[in-house]
Amino acid sequence: MELRRYITRRLIQIILIFFVILTVLFLLFRLAPGDPVSRMIDPAMSPEDAENLISQLGLREPIWVQYLLYLKNFVTGDFGYSFHYGRPVITVIWDKLPNTVLLFTTSIILAAIVGIFLGKIAAWHKGKKLDLWMTIGALVTHTVFLPWLALIMIWVFSYKLGWFPITGIISEEIWLDPDSGIVAKVLDVAHHMVLPVATLFCIHFGSYLLIMRSSMLETLKEDYILTARAKGLKEKVIRDRHAAPNAALPVVTSVGLSLAFSINGGALTETVFTWPGIGRELVFAVSHNDYPLAQGSFLLIALVVLLANMIVDILYAYLDPRIRY
Amino acid sequence: MIRERIWTFFRNCAGLFWLIYILAAAVFIAPVQGAPLLKVGVLEEPKTLNIWLASDAWSSRVLSEICQPLFIREPGTLSLVPWLAEKEAVYDPSNLSYTVYLREAKWSDGTPFTSRDVAFTGKMIKDFKIPRFLSNWNFVKEIATPDPRTVVFYLEESMATFLARTLTTPIVQEKEWSSIAAEALKTEKPLVTLLNQKVEKPVGTGPFILKEWRQGAYLFLEKNPNFFGQGRNIAGRDLGPLIGGIIFKNYGTSDAAILDLKKGSIDMFWWGLQAGYVEDLKKEKDIQIITNEKSGLYYMGFNLRKPPFNDRALRRAVANLIDKEFIIERILQGYGVKMHTLVPPANRIWCCTDVPRYCEGLSKEDRIRTAFTILKEAGYKWDEPPVDGSGKVVKGKGIRLPDGSPMPSFTILTPPADYDPQRAMVGTMAQEWLREFGMPVSAKPMAFGSLTEQVKGRRDFDAFVLGYGKLSLDPDYVRNFFVSANDKPQGWNMSGYSNPEFDRLAEQSVKEMDQEKRRKLIWQMQRMIMEDVPYIPLYNPILLEAVRTDRFAGWVSMVEGIGNTWSFCELKPR
Repeated sequence: MELRRYITRRLIQIILIFFVILTVLFLLFRLAPGDPVSRMIDPAMSPEDAENLISQLGLREPIWVQYLLYLKNFVTGDFGYSFHYGRPVITVIWDKLPNTVLLFTTSIILAAIVGIFLGKIAAWHKGKKLDLWMTIGALVTHTVFLPWLALIMIWVFSYKLGWFPITGIISEEIWLDPDSGIVAKVLDVAHHMVLPVATLFCIHFGSYLLIMRSSMLETLKEDYILTARAKGLKEKVIRDRHAAPNAALPVVTSVGLSLAFSINGGALTETVFTWPGIGRELVFAVSHNDYPLAQGSFLLIALVVLLANMIVDILYAYLDPRIRY
Repeated sequence: MIRERIWTFFRNCAGLFWLIYILAAAVFIAPVQGAPLLKVGVLEEPKTLNIWLASDAWSSRVLSEICQPLFIREPGTLSLVPWLAEKEAVYDPSNLSYTVYLREAKWSDGTPFTSRDVAFTGKMIKDFKIPRFLSNWNFVKEIATPDPRTVVFYLEESMATFLARTLTTPIVQEKEWSSIAAEALKTEKPLVTLLNQKVEKPVGTGPFILKEWRQGAYLFLEKNPNFFGQGRNIAGRDLGPLIGGIIFKNYGTSDAAILDLKKGSIDMFWWGLQAGYVEDLKKEKDIQIITNEKSGLYYMGFNLRKPPFNDRALRRAVANLIDKEFIIERILQGYGVKMHTLVPPANRIWCCTDVPRYCEGLSKEDRIRTAFTILKEAGYKWDEPPVDGSGKVVKGKGIRLPDGSPMPSFTILTPPADYDPQRAMVGTMAQEWLREFGMPVSAKPMAFGSLTEQVKGRRDFDAFVLGYGKLSLDPDYVRNFFVSANDKPQGWNMSGYSNPEFDRLAEQSVKEMDQEKRRKLIWQMQRMIMEDVPYIPLYNPILLEAVRTDRFAGWVSMVEGIGNTWSFCELKPR
């Protein structure tokens, strides 16, 4: 009952926060310098023709009329048409979303698995050389400059060794070949994923390792671990069955939020690897003053992050019976 | 229980993912065999295949191989040659009409290309007031189609740009667009409805047609079996295409595209190279760097509506102080040509060669002395003149206007370095050159959108450095940029130049249908502008492009580079 009340309260909060985000986003884009049609206009176009185009795009309406239209369209699920692509914003986002989700969820889950595993080992060997090297390794990979790492990966594994494609998500040789089956196509995508996933993995796993290590060290001080030892259980069983699952809870929160944020992709990763995802699209929309597309993308991200926050809170209570709201 | 399940799931996933990656690597480690298709690296995807919305370079590049105009530019002389037209257009001054005879051609769907398609294209542009094309068609009063291969254009007034701009408009198929246009016209905002129309497979008459577009990955154009030019000789050139098609591969960065070019995964990178890549690429035996001039104009502009730049003498002095040699050699690293007028030198017919050439061939001291003489004669004074009594050049201080008041400090606006480092650097160097002369100036880089708004919208500025990367080959922009009717918010006369004599010549030039007479007028206009210097033309960058030479040969160079229909129609596989 308490949980239900909590969820209702959080939902109301989310609606209010979302309304604030809607308004701030609208204002931010209108306050930004430049105008969205400047890139569509060339010297041959008369000011009258340009004015006609601006009016038809609705950009000559007073700002409050634009705001009311914006709210109305949002409530009715109409995100409008991208100025740049001339296609519905939802379609543009929907085309890119699966690519981003595929890349980022894969790398985050992999990073979480390895991070938890290594964090557990590091904590278990606290103060020893293994712990020291793992901690240093995690700090280095977590703080390395992502585009630099990505370019080094491409240089070594794609250009010099030729093991992986330099960029992109698929090879035209495979996808244009009528004899290519589904297995070949799936493997082709997987082949293209290796380098971007490896790069993102390097960036993320360090933080999971450090969170897990810290949480594990706390858990190992708990009385039930002492009890387990007193019962004569094997060290591996105490570490893997008793300590690690409980210590992994903070990582669950971190992974949950990372997954939610992953829908905005990573502009840098997606640009360097030419991964056709939301991150690149978002940067493009902002730099080209494509208001509908940028607003649609930001709103989607805001909504998913708000909901993910709530889900993580609920999940936390569910996984740890001691937590009550 | 649940916690254990989550734990087990995580562990199993790890194994599964690594299994997939190892399998993938094992299957694809061997390099993939190349297909007989031209692979072109591009930095962005086309934004649309709807020709009416396609204002970006990437969409235009793809669509230029699909949708064709009646006339195109020949690469050598840049003169217009019949393309979908069969021969030169016939002008009848008595009724201001142009008759165009069409080639026998087919659309990519196999239906015949007729005069109705041409008339329909013009009607669509006028009905919808399509911004990109309207100014080229709004003086066409009527289009008659006496037979399927003859089109007669009746003009409301004589218009010199008719051949160069109207007849180079891509023609669309009536069958493809008529129902879409009819539906769009019924809506509240017909133009927006038309621009938002999704086109998946554009029908065209060009050498290639769209086979497949996998968004985010590649776009494949295959050879059009119905291409009218196949096996023909047009403008002295034997046309194919001899390649099976073109694959446009999308890259996020130039670095990645260049690595793939070196590796052999693409045959051409269709984007101007930064000078920094050239030395590295020259070491590759199968890569050739091809240079061509752009049809560009990078310039410094002044606000003639207010002091201090409402004084021609000051503008001329500044024109002498700007060191174009330095800009070309140091800022552009040698990959540019000096501009002395508004039309790029490569546009040979229209580029006026006898304009005043400020600072040409002068040493730094001589430039300062020339500028000093100009301003001294105009009544300017200094607290400490830049040329002392013995004629020696020194650092000037405290320049004063002819009325004796100190020159107000002014600003040179430039785009930011992350948008265009060269223009930003030109602004900084101009600041230094003018400060040495005693002028109170500062260069101010600002966001490109804000810059154009300030210069073009609010018209609140002193001086700016801007440029056009791709000017039309027809020089009508000389008129557009300086005719006084365009001195209005968002108008193209950003400097506020106003000269009744120029307006008269400009009006004449746009009505003059005889090319030689028009050339003389355009040259005269350029001389007038360079005498008054509302703009100081600075440079035109050289376009550097890289191609592989091991698979294809026969690239056709022209202004704006080798990525043109002639190249794609003449390239031969090795």
